[in-house]
Amino acid sequence: MAIEDDVLVVGGGVAGMTAALAAADEGASVRLVTKKQSTLRHASGLVDVLGYAPDGKLLADPFDALTDLPADHPYALVGAEAIRAGLERFDAVAGELYRGGHTEKNALLPTHGGTVKPTARYPASAAAGLASDDRDALLVGFETLTDFDAPLAAEHLEAAGVPFDARGATVSFPGEPRADAKVTRYAHALDEDADGERGRLAARVARVHDGEPRVGFPAVLGQEHPADVRAALEADLDADVFEVPMGPPSLPGIRLEYAFRAALDDAGVHTVRRPVVDYETDGEGRLSAAVVERNGQHIPHYADSFVLATGGLVGKGLDSDREAVREPVFDCHVPQPEDRYDWFRDEAFGEQPYARFGVDVGDDLRPRDEDGRIEFENLRAAGSVIGGYDFATECSGTGVSLATGDAAGAAAGADTQ
Amino acid sequence: MSDAESPSDDFEPIEVFPDEETPDLRPGADDCYKCSTCDTNCPVAEVDDDFPGPKFQGPEQWRLKRKEDASVDDSISKCSNCMRCDSACPSDVGLSQMHNTARAEYVEEELSKTSLTYWRNRILANYRTSAFLASKVPRIANFAMNFGPARWAMEKTLGVTSEREFPEFATETFREWWERQGGADGSRERAREARERRGEDVDADKRVAYFHGCYANYNTPEVAKSLVRVFEHFGYELVVPEQRCSGTPMFANGMLDDAERHAEVNVSSMGDLIEQGYDAIASCTSCSMALRQEYPELFDIDGIEDVAENTWEALEYLRVQEDLSGELAGAEVEDEHLASLAYHAPCHARNQGLDGQALELFDDLAGVDAEDVGDSCSGISGTYGWKEEKYETSMKIGEEMFDHMEDAEGEVGMTECPTCAMQMEHGTGYEIRHPLEVVAAALT
Amino acid sequence: MGTRTEVLVIGGGSTGCGVVRDLARRGVDTTLVEKGTLTNGTTGRMHGLLHSGGRYAVSDQASARECIEENRVLRDIAGHCVEETGGLFVKRPEDDEEYFQEKLQGCRDCDIPAEVLTGAEAREREPYLAKDVEKAIAVPDAAVDPFRLCVANAVDAENHGARVETHAEVTDLLVEGGEIVGAEVTHESGKGPREHGTPGEVEEIYADHVVNAAGAWAGRIGDHADLDVAVRPSKGVMTVMNTRQVDTVVNRCRPKGDADIIVPHETACILGTTDEEVGDPEDYPEEEWEVDLVIDTLSELVPILQEARTLRSFWGVRPLYEPPGTGTQDPTDITRDYFTLDHEERDAVPGMTSIVGGKLTTYRMMAESITDHVCEKLGVSATCDTADAPLPGSERPGDLEAAMERFGLRSPVARRSAQRLGSRTEDVLASCDPNPVVCSCEGVTRAEVRDAIDDSGTDLNAVRIRTRASMGNCQGGRCAHRMAAELHPEHDEATARAALDELWAERWKGQRHALWGEQLSQAMLNRAIHGATMNRDNDPARTDDAVDWDAFDGGRSDAGEGEVGEEGIHGD
Repeated sequence: MAIEDDVLVVGGGVAGMTAALAAADEGASVRLVTKKQSTLRHASGLVDVLGYAPDGKLLADPFDALTDLPADHPYALVGAEAIRAGLERFDAVAGELYRGGHTEKNALLPTHGGTVKPTARYPASAAAGLASDDRDALLVGFETLTDFDAPLAAEHLEAAGVPFDARGATVSFPGEPRADAKVTRYAHALDEDADGERGRLAARVARVHDGEPRVGFPAVLGQEHPADVRAALEADLDADVFEVPMGPPSLPGIRLEYAFRAALDDAGVHTVRRPVVDYETDGEGRLSAAVVERNGQHIPHYADSFVLATGGLVGKGLDSDREAVREPVFDCHVPQPEDRYDWFRDEAFGEQPYARFGVDVGDDLRPRDEDGRIEFENLRAAGSVIGGYDFATECSGTGVSLATGDAAGAAAGADTQ
Repeated sequence: MSDAESPSDDFEPIEVFPDEETPDLRPGADDCYKCSTCDTNCPVAEVDDDFPGPKFQGPEQWRLKRKEDASVDDSISKCSNCMRCDSACPSDVGLSQMHNTARAEYVEEELSKTSLTYWRNRILANYRTSAFLASKVPRIANFAMNFGPARWAMEKTLGVTSEREFPEFATETFREWWERQGGADGSRERAREARERRGEDVDADKRVAYFHGCYANYNTPEVAKSLVRVFEHFGYELVVPEQRCSGTPMFANGMLDDAERHAEVNVSSMGDLIEQGYDAIASCTSCSMALRQEYPELFDIDGIEDVAENTWEALEYLRVQEDLSGELAGAEVEDEHLASLAYHAPCHARNQGLDGQALELFDDLAGVDAEDVGDSCSGISGTYGWKEEKYETSMKIGEEMFDHMEDAEGEVGMTECPTCAMQMEHGTGYEIRHPLEVVAAALT
Repeated sequence: MGTRTEVLVIGGGSTGCGVVRDLARRGVDTTLVEKGTLTNGTTGRMHGLLHSGGRYAVSDQASARECIEENRVLRDIAGHCVEETGGLFVKRPEDDEEYFQEKLQGCRDCDIPAEVLTGAEAREREPYLAKDVEKAIAVPDAAVDPFRLCVANAVDAENHGARVETHAEVTDLLVEGGEIVGAEVTHESGKGPREHGTPGEVEEIYADHVVNAAGAWAGRIGDHADLDVAVRPSKGVMTVMNTRQVDTVVNRCRPKGDADIIVPHETACILGTTDEEVGDPEDYPEEEWEVDLVIDTLSELVPILQEARTLRSFWGVRPLYEPPGTGTQDPTDITRDYFTLDHEERDAVPGMTSIVGGKLTTYRMMAESITDHVCEKLGVSATCDTADAPLPGSERPGDLEAAMERFGLRSPVARRSAQRLGSRTEDVLASCDPNPVVCSCEGVTRAEVRDAIDDSGTDLNAVRIRTRASMGNCQGGRCAHRMAAELHPEHDEATARAALDELWAERWKGQRHALWGEQLSQAMLNRAIHGATMNRDNDPARTDDAVDWDAFDGGRSDAGEGEVGEEGIHGD
């Protein structure tokens, strides 16, 4: 009769997809309901685990600082082994698409703003750009792509003290796209290579290339065939080629999203792309269904166990008005200062209470109400809907999603078996 | 009590602009936080940089508007109305509503009513009229429409690409067949028999009103007939009410007046039945999309919300109301032809959250192996790919799908959308079937 | 050793810019110094209403008459700064009928065109007005861009030989023999357009006469010479909505009160305001209740405001003044009129005149009056022509068609560019090819940003007020770094970075007051882009800690060798 599965995951970002894969691994039948597209398309595509300790210290090894984290930090709740399990799952999903799994150390990658950032896994397409590599680099920007100013970024990298010489140059993209062409347009042109765009781009870069052993581009080097695009440019330039991650929108993020989707297909996870607008309970503290809205229809999707992975403020897993911040799907408790003028601090960066907003979970990842009681016996949370950490400042976003997604999904799956 | 004390939750667009037809969608820009996810999903922006993408055409262009600014950027005519941006936006921006409205405004303000483009678009958009005439003389029409010199002349004068084969008209329309089957009375009888056979309450209230759309009536009655067989198999009584074009091709061509005239008829006839307890079902995902989402977004017609809330895509309906998956799991399809299917999920199915449905249903169906050819757009988007100046873009968009179809096993395609089917056939030469035909083969 | 000028004008708000223009056009050698960017003080922190005079038609008819007169002048000479929106005084059922009639009569007495509309007619003009609005008076209110207006005045002054120095703070008045003979000015970063990182310097500017047009700061200037200029600063909040809910200025038709005006301004609506006396024009509390009050109260007029997205709030201080001994308690009762204080007459300290009070709409008239006064002192006989000479940019309208076709801009972007640039549209847009949009919220192209940089140096806030870049719904999240990149390579990386940090801080300052709903999500997204993706907050270039590069992942030994393996997407 109705639509029914063992595990229903609400939310289709890294946390939700990881949870679905983990639950499926336990033998559960899994359905993933995702409102729209995930914030992977916003983010750089780098997989951060922990870049900075609570005191702001740059971390060469994220596992070094776990014990310094506050007790309600998601990593403190799930522990180092869950982080490792999440990363292992990630490596299986990403395969050749990603690098960094050979060590637990952080890598430092150049950003499109010209600084460097610590991350645990990085796209293969960005690998030749590592900032700890001492080979000189040429950065190339396109004059119509205003998000990445290569000469400025190169000068900035030198200001950051990187152990190599960086130089930037701006060229026009072959075919002279209109000034407001989208990044997918550049990627598509390089993928298709219909008018020899790869070779023509290389020829333009060759005119400004001064023998640097590596050449960096904004992350638009192909959507479908990035390795081919890179290989073609490398052959013509006789240099390693790398992408500087950007976003939003982010091609590395999109490529990663597709890798996850392929893994979900392989695992037999069914995906529904509509919002959850309501839920049903059995009246005894357990969820029985999430109600999915389909252009007017409200259709209950039944399951034995549920994972809430709807994201934070950016992913719209948290909603707010002048009065309060809430979790709109299951109406779980979100701890917060009562007065909205206590949600923020006066400095733009640094500590910000709103950046830590999210549902309150215990070490079993079950959301709890304001009295600390479990909201629903069969509901777990994963990813940035969980509060207590600031992914932007810590550089911990994807890592928390992987660790909590894996743990929540595995537990949800095991419950139903 | 003043309005201020009870603000309505829903934003209702109202008329601000001097042209009375144009609702003010500027407040819709409030939801956009500029993540650009919509742009990364736009199949047109990816291949044609003259199109600045859905974000610009939607929230950005609307937000930059002032009351006295009537004109919209002409690049709006490049949007194919695939609506992928709608299902991409994490922030609920009404992108396609903005595009549809801007396009209507552009056609109204900028496109000369005496221009050939206008009339070409109008003829393409009013496919139902052409199809109605052609169906009277299907064999002549099939010959004439694809007759070389005639096609050359159509391209030169009207800008209808001669690259495409016009769809064939069936020698008997679905409605003619339906009448021959005894219409609603015949269906009631067959449904009662089925309920009896299934051990259900013979007097159960299982009644649906079928919105078949133009294409299933004039060109692919096999789809509509399969729907009838499948629903009657589950014990449903069908009625096939009076209906006009759903309006999809008219939205895409900025002809909202035409679309509204048709919508009024559809809302009235479907609405009456819904009031009597019928649910509305559709086999074409663009038709169900129109009734469910675009109607209430674009028009203010009595009863329109009721129709929207009670319209279902046909298989979705059975999946929720019946044990469709269970029955399919126990069935087998013997037709060799259907053994390997390359499935393409239409953009409008995606918008309704239905893109995974067909494959999921056929997972456990013996004798059928359906393979997804990826989530790219087919590129035809209704009338879009029929325009001479859009043909190349349309085929570029479709390339990815064609490649994946070629890679898939089997040489039969499957999709829910008739124009996607046209494009799939055009790009690969495959025969294209509708999932309902597969279900009918399995269960009836 | 100092610099000499005939007249030194202190303050780059509307009054100072108006005075420097007028003096320059009369052939007087003039220097203007402003401690921040132009419009840094009160002028840049108002709602942008160009009064018809209707607002003062009951309480202060002299002001009302001046307003309607200057309203007409500005439409002529500053067309590219003015949007002729029209205005409504709207009456709700609970508002006093007698006052409505007084307002109507007052408008007629002051020659302000006024037309009574029924509730239905008012809603036809402004459909989002509350359904129970009873009636309205339509008047020729308009919206004015104070930034563009002041910049145009300053540019015209420079064209006529004046010197305009921003980021130049008066740190002392030079007094010799009981006479004010000039001022000590501290340049934040050298003379001329601002350049981050250039060391500051102190300059003594000697003048035959000093005009203190520092507005709410006029008292502080007076303090340098022990003069008592008793400005009573009064703060008011302005809340910026993301879109235009109304295209007409909407005023509440009642005697006085907070939260009674909505001004459509460019892409946004600005809600105003509150009125609270403060001690210090730079240090006063910006309070939550003020934001809530304007939203809640104005929602009574336009209910959709209750749910609409708020971008930010900002506060301005009115430079209210009343002659000693008046003793008004409530700041809302203090006159909005202006006063010319000749310190020679008043305090027996020759050499300086202060101008206090007043409002933007009549800035030109005030400037004319004070310029007359100064010219008389200097013995200059040239007459004023500022009411007839168009401001630079307003000589002719911008050519929208050319902007679209010649420069390949999308029509809304071209329209906005032409509106902002006026007669300079062609020259500016022709300067950049290709010319990508840098700020997509406001439709600002690279050419416009570079043009503003040429004019104002490395101060991105000055670029912002000239172009509107970073003033849209993402508040710079998507474009602040792109704007900074346009500084390079003319300016070095450290300068671009400092300018970006400064713009970012300014953008954040106002957004804090709008952190709920969509704007809270926006703030988090902006933090993610700038904090996580770009890692600007932990940039090693800004911290002193050296990075131990060797301690990090050095890459897999086979990485970067042109690895094989299909890593693209397959769509399934």
